[in-house]
Amino acid sequence: MKKFAMLAWLVALAVLVVSCAPAPTPVPPTKAPEPTKAPEPTKAPEATKPPSAGPIKIGFFSPLTGPTAADGQSAFNSAKLAVKLINDAGGINGAPLQLINYDDAGKPDQAASVARKLIESDKVVAAISGAYSGPTRAAAPVFQQAGMVMLSAYAIHPEITKVGDKIFRIGTLADVQGKVGAELVAKNLKAKKVAILTIDNDYGVSLTAGFKAHALKVGLEIIFEQKYSFGEKDFRPIIEKIKAANPDVVYATGYYAEASTLVSQAKDAGLKAQIVGQEGYDSPQFIKLAGANSEGVIITTDLNRDSKEAMTQKFLTEYKKAYNEDADMVGASAFDAVQVLAYAMKTGGTTTDGIIKALKGLKDFKDCATGPFLRYTADRELVRPVSSQIVKGGAFHLYQEFTDPAVTTP
Amino acid sequence: MSIAQNLSNAMVLASTYILIAIGLTMVYGVLKVLHVAHAGVYASGAFVGLGAFNFVRPFCTPTLEDARLASNLAFWISLPIAMIVSGVMGALIYLLIYRYTWGKSPTISLVASVGLFTLIQDLLQKPFLLGPRQQPYPAGGAGMPRIETPWFMITPTQVLILFVTLILLAIVYVILNRTRIGLGWQAASLDPEMAAAVGVNVTHVIVLNFFLGSMLAGAAGVLVGVYDNMVFSTMGDVPSYKAFVVVVLGGLGSVPGTIVASIVLAVTETFMVAFAGSLMPRDAIAFLVLILLLMFRPRGLLGRA
Amino acid sequence: MDYFVSLAVFAGIWVVLALSLNILMGFAGQVSLGQAAFFAIGAYTSALCALKFDQPFFVGFFAAILVTGFVGAFLGLPSLRVRHDFLVLATMGVNFVVVAIFKYVDFFGGALGLIDIPTPRFFGVNNDIPYLILVWLYVGAAILISWYISKTWTGLALNAVRINEEAAAAVGISVPRFKIYAFIVSAALAGGAGSLYAHYLKSLFPDNFNFIESIVILSMVVVGGVGTLRGPIIGAIILRALPELLREVHDYRFTLYGGLIVLMMLFQPMGLLGDDSTLMRGLRRLFVRKEKVDYEHAA
Repeated sequence: MKKFAMLAWLVALAVLVVSCAPAPTPVPPTKAPEPTKAPEPTKAPEATKPPSAGPIKIGFFSPLTGPTAADGQSAFNSAKLAVKLINDAGGINGAPLQLINYDDAGKPDQAASVARKLIESDKVVAAISGAYSGPTRAAAPVFQQAGMVMLSAYAIHPEITKVGDKIFRIGTLADVQGKVGAELVAKNLKAKKVAILTIDNDYGVSLTAGFKAHALKVGLEIIFEQKYSFGEKDFRPIIEKIKAANPDVVYATGYYAEASTLVSQAKDAGLKAQIVGQEGYDSPQFIKLAGANSEGVIITTDLNRDSKEAMTQKFLTEYKKAYNEDADMVGASAFDAVQVLAYAMKTGGTTTDGIIKALKGLKDFKDCATGPFLRYTADRELVRPVSSQIVKGGAFHLYQEFTDPAVTTP
Repeated sequence: MSIAQNLSNAMVLASTYILIAIGLTMVYGVLKVLHVAHAGVYASGAFVGLGAFNFVRPFCTPTLEDARLASNLAFWISLPIAMIVSGVMGALIYLLIYRYTWGKSPTISLVASVGLFTLIQDLLQKPFLLGPRQQPYPAGGAGMPRIETPWFMITPTQVLILFVTLILLAIVYVILNRTRIGLGWQAASLDPEMAAAVGVNVTHVIVLNFFLGSMLAGAAGVLVGVYDNMVFSTMGDVPSYKAFVVVVLGGLGSVPGTIVASIVLAVTETFMVAFAGSLMPRDAIAFLVLILLLMFRPRGLLGRA
Repeated sequence: MDYFVSLAVFAGIWVVLALSLNILMGFAGQVSLGQAAFFAIGAYTSALCALKFDQPFFVGFFAAILVTGFVGAFLGLPSLRVRHDFLVLATMGVNFVVVAIFKYVDFFGGALGLIDIPTPRFFGVNNDIPYLILVWLYVGAAILISWYISKTWTGLALNAVRINEEAAAAVGISVPRFKIYAFIVSAALAGGAGSLYAHYLKSLFPDNFNFIESIVILSMVVVGGVGTLRGPIIGAIILRALPELLREVHDYRFTLYGGLIVLMMLFQPMGLLGDDSTLMRGLRRLFVRKEKVDYEHAA
């Protein structure tokens, strides 16, 4: 009997391993052929170019499992798209790019290990974080110490770039985005009384801090403030309180899942105040989940879908073509991280010093989806116009572009 | 206005807790197993319901001119399908796993259950099932009316949840108290060996028990999916522990206790969020209530001493 | 090299966590789903010592052990009132509340976490190898402590408490004292692990210590074999290494991970190296037969 159990155990194990190992084959086309790791670069350019130019490896990590897997998938897909476009156009001065991605499962300790794996086993020349703040902050010191450049695509924690002179950021700093939010509420919406809702992680807390600091300057009155948890599904008690406080505007930090729940429940409860969000809302998922309730919501974000820039439109159409879904802000930021890194390697070479020098010299960079990027500050934060979008007719459209350096400089 | 509204919202929240937790209570009553994978059944129920809904809706549209009616019909078809599939899934979980781990240390079942939950969630996240993104479940109120009074308002979806919960509770009540199977369950939950000795087929009772409890979890998954208009692979995360709070508050294994505890927890949460929201996250509040209560009543609200 | 060093550091930390839970669960029979809370308290104590009070690493390390031991005594109090599954839930609650406090109180860094925790350097060596050695020295200490407890009267008393509290009380064992004792030792060990974790990772966020981590620790103990010394060690190493090894099977790694745990519980409920596991019986048979052969030769 026991022998039989042991046998069954082994057979089950074997079946599991065998059935799971060749996983990528049955996966529908939304998933690219190399889900976690790209063992081989796109071969075409290699064949046509001189053999001396081996592939240039860039490391990438993002959560492909766990509760934040959707964002990790977007980021990874977009980074792959950027690499493909760059390689189709001849790579980095003839050498193709190779993206090496690992899943960090949204966990800082896995990110810290994976960062070392990228440096040692894969010998990457630079890295991009397609992860949230926790894992990004855990990986940053590893790259800094190894003397390697890391670009943080969309992690918003203010302390990430402070790790050292090799850590750069693509996304807009929380401070700036909060400031722009307050500017928008005061100047464009001409509101006086504001209620603030904060998601209780680094993203929400730093945005709210930025918003509040600027709100005082532009004469906003904050009449209500409350925190809520990541993944909250029941905003009803909070909405009742906001209704009683009767603000003109609700500045609610959060991601699209919480945001779509919030705007739907606010509409149900008959809350009239204008809801203002940020880049966390910026996903087609928001409109898909909230449906008609999303109409009229205004957000500050990096991705301007009505942009006239050629690269923005190219990214949006190519992404749709490649993955059969609409792109989001997270994806656009990861795409831009690859673009910026590629630019830096083209102009400065593939050494760390060369990349840093090129990044510092970046000026009016337009080869990106969320641009134009004006320059990097001494603190390695990007100076760029911040866009605000409004949901109209089931899509994000430009509401107002903020270019005033007093507001948008980190 | 606000207090009545909060209360009515809390009752809807309580209904979803009840549906998830009753299955868990029933399982615990007989097996004394902390069945974490119940939350996996709940998420799978939502997934199956959504799949059935999306599959059936196009067939309803040509026959029914009104898109609203078509969607309502699709919902009422998808709900029982989800419940049955979840029920079968629950029964299979017992037959394939707990049947073997039962009688050994309860931590073994707990860890097996955790492993199973990880497996279910990870499978649901695959692109050929749910995928990593949230999917909308746009069934609205499924034909329910909107109730408006001067003091509070109940949306059609909320009416739907209250209505379905009441019906399912009535059915569970009848089954548990008026049928042989129900009496068998009661006997088995008091003392499985004794029940077997007096001729109760304990295996049948337990399988049915899992089937019924998982059906309720599946219904809860569908209803919550519609309520939030959102179905996603990790939607079982919060219920996986929240349902335990309810079951423990209710005294582990007591169905009426579970109902009372669901209401107590939902009302406490709602008013704590309303009046002390920035002090602590709501789940921490729920657990604080639980720990304090356990210090005074170590066997739950309605637990037998 | 650094990559394997990092894996080994984390593996060591989780081995200690598994051993610490094993003292509570395997020796004293108090199943806890709140071990990540002690882990968190240790990590935060040590990090705060370094960041707010500018203390060197070892001060923070021992402070972490002391503070978590003290908190462990306090948080062990529910175990005197509630038992079995009620205790499982109460400890889980403790986990939630502790994480919530770290998240909502600004002194602890709040949601922005604690940043820039220094990694100590020893003997002027500019890599993580000395740190790795330190971690495994601590693992050794944890093993010694576990072994010592299991071999003394305390171990016997804890065993009695685990098997039957009433009977233990009847023969004069102070059940509350030994329960609290187990909580203190277990918490203190986990606290030291937290300190090592904080200084290696350099940044802490409250979400690192979600109760999911407690479940992972519990799984390690049970998969390895509850109540033994070798079990939690092997369990922790396997469950830490598994997701890394399974990177090759792409996104299916957590499907497999979950599936393997289920299969383990079905066919090896005593754990891989538990007292009555197939592997152990096989090993023992091998070992015993050899002895016999030797004996016959000698004869």
